[in-house]
Amino acid sequence: MTGSNETFKEVLRFEDDALLNGSRRFIDDLEPRGTLHIAMARSPVAHARLASIDIAKSSSMPGVHTVLTGEDISRHSTPTPIGWEHIADQRRTESLAMATSTVRYVGHIVAAVVAETRAIAEDAVDAIEIDYDLLPAVMDVDAAREPNAPILHSSWPDNVLATDQQTSGDGRSALKSAHTIVDLELDIGRAFGCPLETRGVIADWGLQNQAGSQRSGSVGRLIVDLNSQSPNRVREVLSQVLGVSVSDLLVRVPAIGGGFGAKANYYGEEIITCIASKVCGRPVKYIEDRSESFVATSHARDAKMSVSIGADGDGSIVAFRSDVVGTLGGEVSSVGMGPIWVSTRAGTGSYQIPNADITTTGVMTNRTPFGSFRGWGSPIANFAIERAIDALADRLSIDPIDLRLKNMVRPEQMPFQNGLGWRLDSGDYPEALRRTLKSVTQAGWFDEVTDATSNGRFVGIGLVNFIEATGVGNSRKMGRLPMEQGGFDEAVVRMDSTGTVQVFTGQTGMGQGIETTLAQVCATALGANVNDVRVVFGDTDSCPYTGYGTGGCRTAPVAASSVMLASQDLQGQVLEMAASLLNLDEAELTISNSAVSGPTGEKVTFADIGTAAYRKLNRLPEHHSPTLQARYVWDPVDRTIGYGSIAVMVEVCADTGLVSVLRYHAVDDCGYVINPAIVDGQVMGGFVQVLGSTLMEELRYDEDGNPLTTTFRDYLVPLAGDVPEMTVEHMETLPPDVPSGSKGVGEAGTMAAMSAIAQAVEHALPGGYGWIRSIPLSPELLLHHIDAATP
Amino acid sequence: MSGTGTHQLSISINGRHENFDVEPRSTLAELLREQAGLTGTKIGCEQGSCGACTILFDGEQVRSCLMFAVQAADSEVWTIEGLASPPPENQTSPTPLAGLPELAEAFKRNHALQCGFCTPGMLIAGTLIGEACGGAINEERVKEGLSGNICRCTGYQGIVQSVVEVFELKTSNPAAEKPQ
Repeated sequence: MTGSNETFKEVLRFEDDALLNGSRRFIDDLEPRGTLHIAMARSPVAHARLASIDIAKSSSMPGVHTVLTGEDISRHSTPTPIGWEHIADQRRTESLAMATSTVRYVGHIVAAVVAETRAIAEDAVDAIEIDYDLLPAVMDVDAAREPNAPILHSSWPDNVLATDQQTSGDGRSALKSAHTIVDLELDIGRAFGCPLETRGVIADWGLQNQAGSQRSGSVGRLIVDLNSQSPNRVREVLSQVLGVSVSDLLVRVPAIGGGFGAKANYYGEEIITCIASKVCGRPVKYIEDRSESFVATSHARDAKMSVSIGADGDGSIVAFRSDVVGTLGGEVSSVGMGPIWVSTRAGTGSYQIPNADITTTGVMTNRTPFGSFRGWGSPIANFAIERAIDALADRLSIDPIDLRLKNMVRPEQMPFQNGLGWRLDSGDYPEALRRTLKSVTQAGWFDEVTDATSNGRFVGIGLVNFIEATGVGNSRKMGRLPMEQGGFDEAVVRMDSTGTVQVFTGQTGMGQGIETTLAQVCATALGANVNDVRVVFGDTDSCPYTGYGTGGCRTAPVAASSVMLASQDLQGQVLEMAASLLNLDEAELTISNSAVSGPTGEKVTFADIGTAAYRKLNRLPEHHSPTLQARYVWDPVDRTIGYGSIAVMVEVCADTGLVSVLRYHAVDDCGYVINPAIVDGQVMGGFVQVLGSTLMEELRYDEDGNPLTTTFRDYLVPLAGDVPEMTVEHMETLPPDVPSGSKGVGEAGTMAAMSAIAQAVEHALPGGYGWIRSIPLSPELLLHHIDAATP
Repeated sequence: MSGTGTHQLSISINGRHENFDVEPRSTLAELLREQAGLTGTKIGCEQGSCGACTILFDGEQVRSCLMFAVQAADSEVWTIEGLASPPPENQTSPTPLAGLPELAEAFKRNHALQCGFCTPGMLIAGTLIGEACGGAINEERVKEGLSGNICRCTGYQGIVQSVVEVFELKTSNPAAEKPQ
């Protein structure tokens, strides 16, 4: 038997037609008959005790069904668990989905109104009378760590959620003996995923369903539709806090209008909406509006880092230290301080550094809770190591690219233990950098810079490296941390009586094209025509279990592996039946394009086989069981680490200090590329998001904790005119322990954007490397630098 | 319910006249989505900043979240549902934005959409800018024309490329539309 070699790499996305004609349904396009609408009352102050809430006037308004306060929420639910409670001694808040006595950020939910329409609910929110006893707001990590700082959570001795430390070799003591030491203080601003579709949820825990919950029958259940990246995770959390068994909860996910990690977290609104439905006995719908999204959807990045790097005189890096302090919010999000903690593992990046010491601390402030955003904490970790290397290159008068090449992990060292707990599993890191340099040189970038410079323009090139940890696992290793979450992925592949194949996955589509890529993987492994494969996701009743959900770049390394292995199993079953139908030996058969052929032109199609398996069993000998279905659970051996190098060309305007990114080129190695157009789209889209948070986007507060960025006119995401010409080149090193041969790539584009743009700006301007220390880059800083550096 | 009563109005939507009762505070986007059932028009910000709710209103590009439904009385509205699909057989008036279905095909070919939430607005805005550019289309003009439409997924490259590709072809070589 030989398998199909068809790989369908260039297939166009199956998702597109229904999106292009507007027929695909997103959460706000759904509404069961009888649906009520919920609007949240949110705290207008950053830190206060709730002195009183008067809902009488609001409750009596026509069209209002109920007004919920923290008291109601405490009666119907238990505190929200933290998914990433993985650090020893990580503190707990025991907070509910709604504030009960203290508000800790502007936007904190204090009450909710359920009404006939959203407009009535919003009117009734305005009619709730709330007295706040103001407390001093703690807005930054330095103030929060002052000895007399107000404590946000009164059961804690201070405002620190947790601290984690990872060392390798002799840690920071190795710095002392280094020939050259460079210290940097770095500061990264607050940004967030900001998907164009806001969050939404519809909960149906109606009377009929509640009645059933008294029995063990099938009607007593809570049905939740929401745009979450992690439906199984939401199902388990709702089960836990609402006291409903997991099986009595159905979670469904429609089309999602972008996630970027913001929708990987779970949120209080989901719990409150379920309770509202229970109380009202009707379906209840919540759609976050855009202004709310700026205070209610998880914020991210926001860290201060104190970094030291030490090297020998020849540029061999001997030690690296980074103390990372993350600015968390007033409550702990579902990922805890996970994104900050990543620095303790990713800190040394693409480099072999024998001694490292990395400490991460999460500090609570009166800001919106801190959570996931594409890249998690890795772009921050990348900024620390890449900036440190640039500053070191400047000090040693070594070219930054040469200094990198000297210290990068070499292919013959793979798999390489980075000493901080991560295994860099495969690849040729220096080759990615050399190729990037070669490609942009051949494309004339350096000539362009020379020309521009001779015309008095400030144009420069940045060239940096990144690693990207993808497909977190293994489930047993994760289980040993103080967290309750596995990393495995289950897939079911089923062929029907017409020979059409359905792939059932626990992953979620949110724009990254899994309906296409998982169909490609199945078709290739099974020998089906890719047009005969359908991918089914977003329904916890019919789709299998993936505890982690879709985040951390899991689809290509983890889900594609389980789909591939299930499809291979199904192929075995198909061949067995085909052999019986054709009266041939299995070894004589070939399978491709949804048909099985014998050596002399005998042929049965998948449709023939499907018909026999379901509707004409008499065509098959007794030993065949009816139906064609396979299931596989793949538990990753370990993370698999993607990597690459990127180059950007920027221009700094001498009059305004504004930076334009003119060109972008990436050399990315995510192993086997399932669909080049989709992979390139992920890389470019990820880059542009972080281009935004490097140059334009920042969530800002005043000193009292009032958010200053609450519309798209204050929070500037990149528009068509802000993006450069982008090209992506691939290396395809197959990782050793990943059946699909692919590493994740959804976050690759985010990793090095800050570092590359910073270095390019320094290349464009006089003054050497390593002086840019804060992101977003401020035009004022650059103007000041230009003034100081030019006579 | 809100004490201000409702207004009756008639709008031509996607070539068909329809009657609605609307509250004075309803936006046109809400009317289209909730009363006409045309959910292809997306609401991304309700602040007129993101362009996801872009429709064709009396031949002009309009953000339907910034317009009250009552302002649309006796107007002619086209949404993505009417513009992207082949016209029904009994449709008397021609579908405007004849280039839109072709732009949609180019979007697919150039991977100009990921989540698809901005796509209906982007297709309408892209077709209008493409048609307005005539023979003088280039990337810069398209980027400027699309500056009111946010895409958070793609980085815009495929979108801009698609508009240039489709409308450059249309204007530089009219014969290319009809082979032979």
